[in-house]
Formats: sequence, C-alpha cells, structure tokens
Amino acid sequence: MAPRAGRLIAGVFVVPVLLLAGCGGGSSSSNTAPAADQGPQTGTINVLGSDNAETYAPVIKAFESANAGIKVNYSQVPFDQFNSTLQQRLGAKDSTIDVYTVDQPRVSQLAAKGFLVDLTDLDAKTKAATSQASYDANHFRDKLWSLPMWNSTQFLFYNKSALKKAGVTPPTTDPEQRWTWEQVATAGKKAQQAGGTKYGLLLEQAEAYYQLQPLAESLGGGSGITGPDALTPAVTTDGWKKAMSWYGGTFASGLSPRGIGGFQTGPVFSNGNVAFFVGGPWDIGVFSSAKVDWGIAPMPYFEGGKPVTPTGSWSLGINPASKQQGMARKFIEFATLDTAGNLATTEATTIIPANTKSEAQYLPRLEKLAGSKSTGAAEIVSYEASKTAVGRPVSVGYIQFEEVMGKAFADIRNGTDAASRLETATSQLNEAWKSIK
Amino acid sequence: MDSTGEVSRVGNPMRTRQPRRLGKATKAGRATKADRAGQPGQGRVALLFLLPALISLALLRLIPAGVALVDSFFTESLLRGGRVFVGLGNYSDLLGNADFRKSVGVTLLFTVIVNPLQIAVAFLLAVLYTQRATGSKFWRSLVILPIAVPPAVSAVIWSVIYRPDGLGNSFLDLLKIPAQPFLTSTEQALPSIIVLLSWIGVGYWMLFLIAGINDIPDDIHEAASLDGVSPWRRLWSITLPLVRRPLAFVLVADTVSNLLVFAPVQILTKGGPNGTTNLMMYDVYNRAYAIGDLHTAQAEVILLVAVTLIIVALQFRLLRGDDR
Repeated sequence: MAPRAGRLIAGVFVVPVLLLAGCGGGSSSSNTAPAADQGPQTGTINVLGSDNAETYAPVIKAFESANAGIKVNYSQVPFDQFNSTLQQRLGAKDSTIDVYTVDQPRVSQLAAKGFLVDLTDLDAKTKAATSQASYDANHFRDKLWSLPMWNSTQFLFYNKSALKKAGVTPPTTDPEQRWTWEQVATAGKKAQQAGGTKYGLLLEQAEAYYQLQPLAESLGGGSGITGPDALTPAVTTDGWKKAMSWYGGTFASGLSPRGIGGFQTGPVFSNGNVAFFVGGPWDIGVFSSAKVDWGIAPMPYFEGGKPVTPTGSWSLGINPASKQQGMARKFIEFATLDTAGNLATTEATTIIPANTKSEAQYLPRLEKLAGSKSTGAAEIVSYEASKTAVGRPVSVGYIQFEEVMGKAFADIRNGTDAASRLETATSQLNEAWKSIK
Repeated sequence: MDSTGEVSRVGNPMRTRQPRRLGKATKAGRATKADRAGQPGQGRVALLFLLPALISLALLRLIPAGVALVDSFFTESLLRGGRVFVGLGNYSDLLGNADFRKSVGVTLLFTVIVNPLQIAVAFLLAVLYTQRATGSKFWRSLVILPIAVPPAVSAVIWSVIYRPDGLGNSFLDLLKIPAQPFLTSTEQALPSIIVLLSWIGVGYWMLFLIAGINDIPDDIHEAASLDGVSPWRRLWSITLPLVRRPLAFVLVADTVSNLLVFAPVQILTKGGPNGTTNLMMYDVYNRAYAIGDLHTAQAEVILLVAVTLIIVALQFRLLRGDDR
C-alpha cells in the first residue's frame, strides 16, 4: 500500500496547483503610448464580452462592410464569470483577446494592472463625442484607457393588471412625482394580498452593487468607499445600515423572493409573478413582447432621502498583449466614437448609446419601443442623467469592493443581520485591499 | 476547472495500477542484470522512451507546483508595484483571516460527512446490484448515468431544483411537506450540495465496488450458504473484508475528489450564505481570480494540499493497521 500512497499523494498535490499555474500575476507597470507595432492591416480580431452575440452582430456587420479585410469574432463569457475569466486570461497575457468590454468602475484597476492599452491620443475626440460623466469614467491617472460604448439608468416597471386588481393607482412617469421605496413596498404587499402576483417587488440584479448603491446613497450613506486613495471602506454608515436592513426586510417578509439570482429575475416580471420590478433600459426591449401589461416610472427613493439613480455601463478597451492593435483600435473607435457605429451597438439590445449624437437619435426609438407601455422612457432617461445619476466610485480597489459587497448583499438577502454583515464586509475589504496598498 | 476535478477522479485508478507494473519490470530487470551489462545502450533507450512522459511531468506538474510554492512566499503591491519577499507572511495572513479559518472548518465538516455517506451508499448499491435479480443491470446503469453529465451542468440542473419556486419544493408540496429554503439557508446549503455531489459521485464509486465484489470467488459464497450463513452475516464477514482493497482505493480517491469540489459551489452558492459552503478549493479560486490576490491564493493552495495530505496519510495509516 505504501507506494500507492506515494503516487496518490503526488497526484493530489499537483491538481490544485495546476489550477493556478499559467496565470502569473499581472505586472504593475502601466502601459504607455500605443505600441509601435500595430500588427497586420487585415485579419480577424477577437472581441470578448458578457452580452450575447446578437447584441454585437449589427455593429460587427457594419464594421466589416466599412473595413474590407477585417473580420470580427465575438465570444461571450457569462456575466457571472466575466470578471474572473478576464483576470485569468489577461494575467496570462493571452494574445487571443484583442478587444474586451470594460465595466467602467473597473477601468482604474485594469489600467493599474497593465491590462489596458493607453488611448490618450483619442482624448479630444472622446471628450467631444460623449457626456462629461462618461468621459471621466474612462480615465485613470489623467489618461484615457477605454472608450465609452453605453450608458445606463434604472426604471421602476410595474404590472398594470396586478395593481388594478389590488386597487392601487400606479406611479406616473413624472420624476418630480417619483414614488418612495416605502410606497412601493406597501403597494407591492397589496398586490400580493389581492392575489395579483406571487411577489411584490424584485430588483433585477438583486445582489449587485450597481443597483443597491442608490439605496444607500438615497439615505446619504455614501458610495461605501472613502479616503484619499479611495481604499478605505465606509459601508457601515447610518445610510448603508438603514438601507440594507430595509432591503433585507423585503426578503424576510416575502415581499421579494430569495434564491432567484443573476439574470433569472426578468422572467419573474414578464411572467406576471411580481408587481414591481427595478430594471434597466434593456428590459424595455425584453418586456415589449411579454404578455403582461406593464408601465414604467422613475426609480424610487427613500422617504426623507434624495432621489439617486445608477449610471455608467460598458466601455471597450484593448488588451496590451494583442498582436493586432491597429485593427482593434479601428473597431473600438467605430463602435464608440462613430455615430452610426455606436448606434449599431444598441440595435439588438436596448441600451443607451454613450455617444451623444447617437443618443439623440436613439431616445425617440426607445420611447416607441414597447408602444404605449414605454411612453415617457426618454424623458426619464434625460432627467436622471442630468439630475440624479451617481456613478460608481473610482478606486483601484473597486474589483475587490464589488466582489466583497456582492457576497454581503447575498447574505443580507438570505436573512443575515445587515448591520453586522456590513461590519464583516468592512474587515473583509480591509483584508482584500491590503494586497493593493 | 470542472474538468480538472474530473480528470483527477478518473486519473487516480490509473495511477494506482502503474506501480505494480513498474514493480514487475524492475524485478525482471534485476534477473537479467548480467545480460544487460553487455548492452550498455539499453538504459539510454529506455530513458529516451520515458523522456516525453518525464518532460510533461516536469512541465505540467512539478514546475507549476514549484512556482506555486515560491510564489506563496512573495507579495505584490498594485499601487507600489514590484514583487516583495514576505517569507511566511502570506501564510500568517491566511491563518489570521477569519474567512479562511471558517473555510477550513467548513471543508473538514464537509469531508467528514460526505465521504462516509457516499461510500456507504455506493457499497450498499454495489451489493444490491450484484445480486442476480431481474433488471439489476438496468438499474445499475441508471445509477451510473449522472457521471455522463459534466459537474457544471449537474449544478445548473440542481439550481433549478433548489430554487424556492423550483422542482424540489413542488415535489415536497406533493408530499404535503412545507417549502424548504435549500441553498438560501445557512443550515441547508451544505447538505444540499452534499446531496447533489452524491447524486453524481455514488454511481461512479459504486463501479469500483461492483468490480471488487465480482472478484470474490463464487465458491466462498457457496460454501457459506452450504454452512447456512445468513445473508447479513455473509455481507459482513465475507463481502466486506474481501472488497477491502477496492474500498480503500475508493475511500482515498473519493476524499481527494471531494476536497477539490469547485463547480457546484461556484454555480450554486458562491460560498454563501455566510460562508457556510465556502469550501477551500472555491476560496482559493475566489482569492486568486475574484479578489485578485494571487500570492495569498498560492499559499492557500499549499495549505489545501497539506490538509489533503494529512487526511490521506491518516487514512493510509488506518488501513495499513488493518492489514497486519
């Protein structure tokens, strides 16, 4: 038996080690100036993103017909695994990724790790093409690292027939008449009791910082990150504690369902199982074909607090390990800075283009997308962008922040006491950020 | 990642066979030592044949393992840049980390429950399906079937079963049992994962035990039945002692594969709620790729290997004691 043990043990030892091999850590040197070698003029470039391939089909088609000899191959990695997959492949200097989609709050860390090509020579062009917020979101240490493709906001969708059955007058599209979360909870409960829907309220990304930051910000809780280098956690403020205990309560009371995660949430609304649903512009397109009769209103805020809505979305960046950076630049410029190109990225999936000229052409289309149901959407988008939008914090520690907070939100959703869980998150953040400082 | 777990599972039986063959070869070699002296090139030829295997062994296993070990003594600052030697700093950081300690606790609890459970069920099923009964081969195939499904796909299937409005609760409702929270509760999440893993694993381990049981000479059983030994006694005094070798292999291989469980945790619970399913393998992944602290993750890999070695060594100790 002894020799057996020896071999087995050797086997045991190497398996987990293999998992981490081949992915040497990212170098911390920042990339300066575009590489001298731009690679071939024609060929196939690889684009990696988290959306389905249909989303990019129109822009790829338009780009390919405008640039003979360049083909674009898009691959999708599901959102849940996207960031870790990127971390893994970029860390291994994988040259088979030329262009990838960049979640805007992650720009700083990706740039600091040397995972993005410096695009500062496109600075003036970018500034002219997009809003100030979008322009800022793609900068880190005064350099431009990615080009803004999309923008976002959130709406409150409601199930018209369920509210009618419960005798509730639905909210209007007027941002000045915006409902409070307390009103939504009461009305949602009524709809549940009247038997109209199984649940009262559901947030599309129920465990994501993007959608939950506005809750804390509405109560003056701040973004959760402070300090001169934006590496000090601040998630135990009164605003955060109050917002999160309210949020945990919506699951404890059965107003919201537990255990339905990620992107399984949309169908709960389109199948008529929830009275209120907080979601993005993309849902207007998705829900337009739903059998449920629905309406749209601005995202709620807390009573006594101020209205705050999320913003920001995906940008496009270039992998420094790419051997085809010339073609890659052509593609990302086309998909973001070119009016028609940027508009094409929003053709298949409903999302707000970041290019200001494209947005002007896009909003009337959004307004009509779901007939009378989406009337008022364009007005809400413009209002939120100028008055209530608060971006996610810019910090090199954002990636860790989002991961740690995501787990905290999941636990709070499943019944853990919010205040103590936020304390735990604070110490987890301090641990995680130790390796950055 | 899932496939790696799979490979380790499938790979182990092969690895255990190899030593025997090699052992015979060396004995044969010794016998003909005199002949070999006349052919000095033979050793070199043998080495040449072995070279591809040795190179891949070094390239794919030994070097990465070495890199992991070395990396675990360093740290890298994102803001300041540069690799800094910290000695055992990453290890002491880990040991001082409450999440890591909880993860070790969860992994040990999981190991203590899942392995005896899977092996007991696999053994009982193996005994059942080696009885000469109609349809036993058909039922046997059904039990083995889940092996054909990749672990990640199984996890997705079970995520639908475990959803609060999913199949699991609909089934319980038929039996008039109230709805259960499954993966969203700190008490039920780990057992839910154990059920899923057993659904996949039991059939696989059963295969080895069936082979072991079929190896028992029929005349022993015949002699026992002539002596009027009860079936229970036969199971206890004949079958169990005679399948001890395959059973030992199954115990060790199952333990190792369960210590490396990753896909279901990643897909179903992400280690939650409150870290109750945060098995070490997932914690390593999380530290390396979600948090991005590769060096501490390498240190944790080394500790995971250490935990695995201790458990496996302990198992061999116990089994060897039995042999004498």
